Amino acid sequence: MADLMSHSEFRVALEEAFSGTMAKDASFSRAWATGKLHKQHFVHWATNHYHYIGPFGDYLGLMYANTPDHARDAKDFLLQNMYEEELSDDRHTDLLIRFAEACGGTRAYVQDRNNAMPFAKGMQGWMYYVSGRENFVVSSAALIVGLESQVPSIYRTQYPTLIDKYGFSEWEAEFFDLHITSDEIHGERGYQIVLKYADTPELQQRCLHYVREAADMRFAYTKALYQTYVEPDLGPWVEEDERQPALVG
Amino acid sequence: MPRIYFKTVDRYVEFAEGEEVNVLRMAIREHCDVPWQCASGNCGTDRLVVEEGSENLDPPRRRERARLGDLVDEGYRLACQTYTRGDVTFSWDPDQVGLDDEPGSSDGGGSRAGWAGTG
Ligand code: FES
Repeated sequence: MADLMSHSEFRVALEEAFSGTMAKDASFSRAWATGKLHKQHFVHWATNHYHYIGPFGDYLGLMYANTPDHARDAKDFLLQNMYEEELSDDRHTDLLIRFAEACGGTRAYVQDRNNAMPFAKGMQGWMYYVSGRENFVVSSAALIVGLESQVPSIYRTQYPTLIDKYGFSEWEAEFFDLHITSDEIHGERGYQIVLKYADTPELQQRCLHYVREAADMRFAYTKALYQTYVEPDLGPWVEEDERQPALVG
Repeated sequence: MPRIYFKTVDRYVEFAEGEEVNVLRMAIREHCDVPWQCASGNCGTDRLVVEEGSENLDPPRRRERARLGDLVDEGYRLACQTYTRGDVTFSWDPDQVGLDDEPGSSDGGGSRAGWAGTG
């Protein structure tokens, strides 16, 4: 069994656990960032994203129930994260639907589960599973470090493209702007919780396992978006930027 | 290596050359006691005075401009909304509260005080 890592060693290990398969490098993200998508592709993206992150408050609620009272700072963080998703400002899913509507979609289409890919439903099921069944430190590692903390790196590339290349207004694209910054902070606080409470080698290794799995799940989901909705229109993805990692995605 | 100087607590935080980092994230990561609440450009609790290095900051986007109004022209930025790619120095009032929570603000104050971050 591995030894207990120091906080700084563990942080590096967590960062390395998802750095090889980041969703920002998947074909759909790359087509987005290089201005190749059509508005209809964004409607599909928003619809699937709605079914993947729409129940984020549920996931956090399950994690909250699994967090012991002595970890009060972790409980408070989860509660605050839930509040920020749902109530502190515009509801985040409403901002997502605002974007879909700007692309020609409708609220009813986005909210209809029948319009989501099996991959999106699989992602949702995985998140319910991990948040409901795993130790709170492990689920924090999976959902907050593995998934939520990736968001700024994805949207920081995609947001300027939405404004400059695709011609959306800042208001229409507010979902992305909001998440660039709020998920920086959620992600960082997630790290602080995981570093503090993963206090055995077993827990640290389990966190690393789930961070890898989370990154793989999101990468596969993002790749499926391209294959399902974009490839029929644009053909297989061909990466033109030599600096991009050679991922088959 | 570029670094952020959090002058009010006399702390330097370094980051890798070529990176752009979120100011509030770095403050939380390194326990620099920048006050904050919402992390989404709403409350204004994390407003900082840029003392040096404003040329290294990304320009304010819609939410930050809307929240700060004229304070942008007075050299303020919201830590949660700001990214830097080079040396910068910030100061703040350690006791500051959200802009709507200040005495005399139109909101009357205190509506979200219970949600203060522990960062
Ligand atoms: S923390 Fe509320 S505006 Fe930045």
